[in-house]
Amino acid sequence: MSSRTLTIEPVTRIEGHARITLQLDDAGKVGQARFHLTQFRGFEKFCEGRPYREMPALTARTCGICPVSHLLASNKACDYLLRVSIPPTAEKLRRIMNLAQITQSHALSFFHLSSPDLLLGWDSDPARRNIFGVMAQDPQLARDGIRLRQIGQTIIETLGGKKIHPTWVVPGGVNEALTEDKRQAMLGLLPEGLEIAKRTYSFFKTLVPKFAEEASHFGSAPTLFLSLVTPKGNLEHYDGLLRIKDAMGRIVEDMIPPHEYQRVVGEAVEDFSYMKFPFYKPMGYPQGVYRVGPLARLNNADACGTPYADVALMEFRMLQEAAPVQSSFHYHYARLVEIIFAMESMERLLKDPDILNPRVRSRARSNRYEGIGVSEAPRGTLMHHYKIDDDGLITWVNLIIATGHNNLAMNQGIKQVADAYVDGNNLREGMLNRVEAVIRCFDPCLSCASHAFGQMPLAIDLQDASGLVVDRLVRG
Amino acid sequence: MTGHRTLVIGYGSPIRGDDAIGPLAADRLEAEGVPEGVSVVSRHVLTAELVPDIAAADLVVFLDATLHGDPGEVRLRPLHPDARAVSTMAHFLDPRELLAWAEALYQRRPVAWLVSAAGGCFDYGLYELSPALAGAVGPMLAQVRSLIAGYRQGAPA
Repeated sequence: MSSRTLTIEPVTRIEGHARITLQLDDAGKVGQARFHLTQFRGFEKFCEGRPYREMPALTARTCGICPVSHLLASNKACDYLLRVSIPPTAEKLRRIMNLAQITQSHALSFFHLSSPDLLLGWDSDPARRNIFGVMAQDPQLARDGIRLRQIGQTIIETLGGKKIHPTWVVPGGVNEALTEDKRQAMLGLLPEGLEIAKRTYSFFKTLVPKFAEEASHFGSAPTLFLSLVTPKGNLEHYDGLLRIKDAMGRIVEDMIPPHEYQRVVGEAVEDFSYMKFPFYKPMGYPQGVYRVGPLARLNNADACGTPYADVALMEFRMLQEAAPVQSSFHYHYARLVEIIFAMESMERLLKDPDILNPRVRSRARSNRYEGIGVSEAPRGTLMHHYKIDDDGLITWVNLIIATGHNNLAMNQGIKQVADAYVDGNNLREGMLNRVEAVIRCFDPCLSCASHAFGQMPLAIDLQDASGLVVDRLVRG
Repeated sequence: MTGHRTLVIGYGSPIRGDDAIGPLAADRLEAEGVPEGVSVVSRHVLTAELVPDIAAADLVVFLDATLHGDPGEVRLRPLHPDARAVSTMAHFLDPRELLAWAEALYQRRPVAWLVSAAGGCFDYGLYELSPALAGAVGPMLAQVRSLIAGYRQGAPA
């Protein structure tokens, strides 16, 4: 039997460069579906030999969208190397920065990358299915997206001194205490941010029923879910303990200290992608598929711990009859709940009288040879793991990026969507856009250097086994 | 003309050699002092959060490096909103795209100019301007001050 391969390259409106290939049989049905990361970075190798104190600044360059996430995970790994507990105020300040980062990143994903599909439809004219189409259809939604990003970035800049690659977070804490005027400036932004978040959430709830069909196919195959939770089992983004739930909602691993992550997370490689394939070790590879990120965090959390987010969490759980919520389409929903949570939590932290405490840094030299830092990035659990020598020089690095955790699930997701929508004998752009859209649900961040957006030219060739082009779609 | 608002935006990567001239020029402009009503920002890249500030301005001046021209050559050109100038990068937008966002979302179309200087070296991990481009900062700022003064005096843009 001859086979044909359908290639979607680049995948658009995601962060980074990727390719999807769909192998079709003679009947035009999808046999194999693969998500390929086509960039090579090499951070883990070229960091070797550097002083560990350089790691936060070096690894923050992994990403121009979420440098704060790497900055935090890296500094946590360094805290572990120092064997210090950072001052409580420093932890609160780091939490605020992380929540601001999550806000601006989720806003970019929802308002700019995914709203063209959600507002205009997957089958709408691709020439109009972009941010300008959203502006024409619902300018207030577009303005809200800009404003939320502005609020998140402004808080990061207020704390860190600059929006991109701030150096305010350091091993042992942060390097400058918060002042009253900065506190008031940040507090002044949050009521508007919360109103926007609630308004958008309410609006999106009205859209969800329209996408019941897509939700049933968009990465709804059962997987495990991994995330940090608080010691009480609540929603956590900065610290806490690892929890894994299965597809039935049963807790299969709980309260695992982050530095024991290797007990549950293994990593595999495949020859078709530069992205690693993490898996749940007790189930083995490739059966041990799990998801991380907003969907996993909400599925794993017993509660959010803030008023509006807890109401939204209850409504999130009603998206299907039995928890956990399976469809990756509902990552969008979960992001909006997390923006609400971020606004409420930042306000709570900033109103804490201790937030102005001048003691914000613990000082020490390295007291361990191995450091592990784990936090929740916007896209999921982020792990930094370093080994150092007697001189404090890095001898080994392992980074497990949030998007990497989702690799198996993303591959599973595109296969499911392709099976449901792609007819190789009658290609339509809307079919392929749905295949891309399931990837957008995960909001993958594939690199920091280059970020493919909606209007990049895209040619999709359908070839027979001899390489003859039998069908072609061109966009852009 | 009184009460007008000018926004100067210098943008470029600080670790890509001559690409840094935009933010460096903006920083120097701010350090030297600007007339009332003039705001100056430095950015690694242009992002959507700048749109409300652009929409609130009457005059916007972008400062950037360019590959075109002899190294150190300073050029001035008007910019107009262009929704087709969509960047392929999610966190880097074209200035004309930002102007189009401002027009679409806020019905504002400020007068806009691009002041660019031709660079010769954009290597990775390079923290210095080439000599030719270091000499271009002064002429760029002279151009910016001329634009601001001209606009204040009601000169056609």
